[in-house]
Amino acid sequence: MNEPLLVFREIEKSFSGSQILCGVDLSLYPGKCILLSGKNGVGKTTLLKIIAGLEIPDLAKIEISGKTNCWKKAVRSVRKEIIYLHQHPIMFSSTVESNVAYGLRFTSLNRKQRRESVEEALEWTGLTDVAKKQAETLSGGVQQRVAFTRAWILKPKVLLLDEPMANMDHESREQTYQLLVRMKLAGMSLVITSHFMQYFEGIVDQHFQLKNGALELKSKS
Amino acid sequence: MNGLLLTTQQALQLLFTGDSELWSIVLLSFSVSLKAILLTTPFAFLVSFALSHGKFPGIRIILAIFNSLLSVPTVVIGLFLYVLLTRQGPFGDLRLLFTQTAMIIGQMILCFPTLVALGYAAIQAADRRVWETARTLGAPPWFSMLTVFFEVRFALLAAVLTGFGRIISEIGISMMIGGNILGYTRNITTAIAMETSKGEFAQGIALGLVLLLLSFLLTALLSYLQGHKEFTT
Repeated sequence: MNEPLLVFREIEKSFSGSQILCGVDLSLYPGKCILLSGKNGVGKTTLLKIIAGLEIPDLAKIEISGKTNCWKKAVRSVRKEIIYLHQHPIMFSSTVESNVAYGLRFTSLNRKQRRESVEEALEWTGLTDVAKKQAETLSGGVQQRVAFTRAWILKPKVLLLDEPMANMDHESREQTYQLLVRMKLAGMSLVITSHFMQYFEGIVDQHFQLKNGALELKSKS
Repeated sequence: MNGLLLTTQQALQLLFTGDSELWSIVLLSFSVSLKAILLTTPFAFLVSFALSHGKFPGIRIILAIFNSLLSVPTVVIGLFLYVLLTRQGPFGDLRLLFTQTAMIIGQMILCFPTLVALGYAAIQAADRRVWETARTLGAPPWFSMLTVFFEVRFALLAAVLTGFGRIISEIGISMMIGGNILGYTRNITTAIAMETSKGEFAQGIALGLVLLLLSFLLTALLSYLQGHKEFTT
């Protein structure tokens, strides 16, 4: 394996006195995919949100290029490289193309470059036909693809996906799978939580189970 | 009965013939209350957001205080400000008593808890994923906050309309620290009180009709926004 992009160490988190995560370590590699499984409420989403900088851990360290920093110090720079996708993505009340363009306004791209990026991204994910439609009126599967596109356009190094295929029909699952393959080939590090291992066969490199607050390696390819 | 009909007729005449004194009172009312609501809204919604998304001790106590301030009588605020602004008061040197500025300050104090409490309820109702999605897509905290505001814009607008309705129809503050000076601090409610005490009902009824019309319009707008909110969520 190459050098890891990021290494998260000793992640600890408790809610109301109950310890959810106890010293979890996780290394993220470019172009690799990690599957996290585990029972409901075991802390999978919390772990992803801590990695994304959306949840504050009780304790955690982040290693970047061999240098270890405490979570609080490193999370600002790390956050820019990581995007978290909800199980049921929320659509901002605007058109699909506005949703896709949302994050681009915080980049150094000018208006023309942003427009070109959006067109390219919509084409890449096959959403050109619905570009002008109100995003919140679309079906769950299409909304999930809009969320993928909204994330992909920002070219993050790490993409965290919380149950990306939950409640999807076969066709949407197939389309989502193809998108994941292309994202992986593009060099993104993927971390997926799911109860359904079979949906991700062929793209998962490591499968961990979160149990009693710790990660247990189930399989590795 | 004939007297009432005659007075109503006179009131309508005053309204539709464009009586300058009457309409200057109406304009002054709107000017003062609009300034008060526009100045208060941004700060109040910032407080609402901080209470909704912040993690600091005492949030529940602060919320309870704002909720209890919703029903503070306007004369109490008027009295409190009078004591502060009177010549002998701590801010007497500012010479604000019986000015529009004093009325605006009073109305700002009156609508602030309303805007904070209703703004808090609106922002709390917003899906937490809006904030998280905005943040994970690289939006700075201030832009993520504006994104949340945009998503609950109809509820926030309803809060603003409720606040505006409360201040344009108040009388305690305007009477006590405005002083009811014609052409300067006389607004709809103080004018109605004065005209009624003089036994001159026509202008009072005309101004009352303006307030009633405004009340109907605000209620209709609120109902529309309520319906729109339900439709979109």
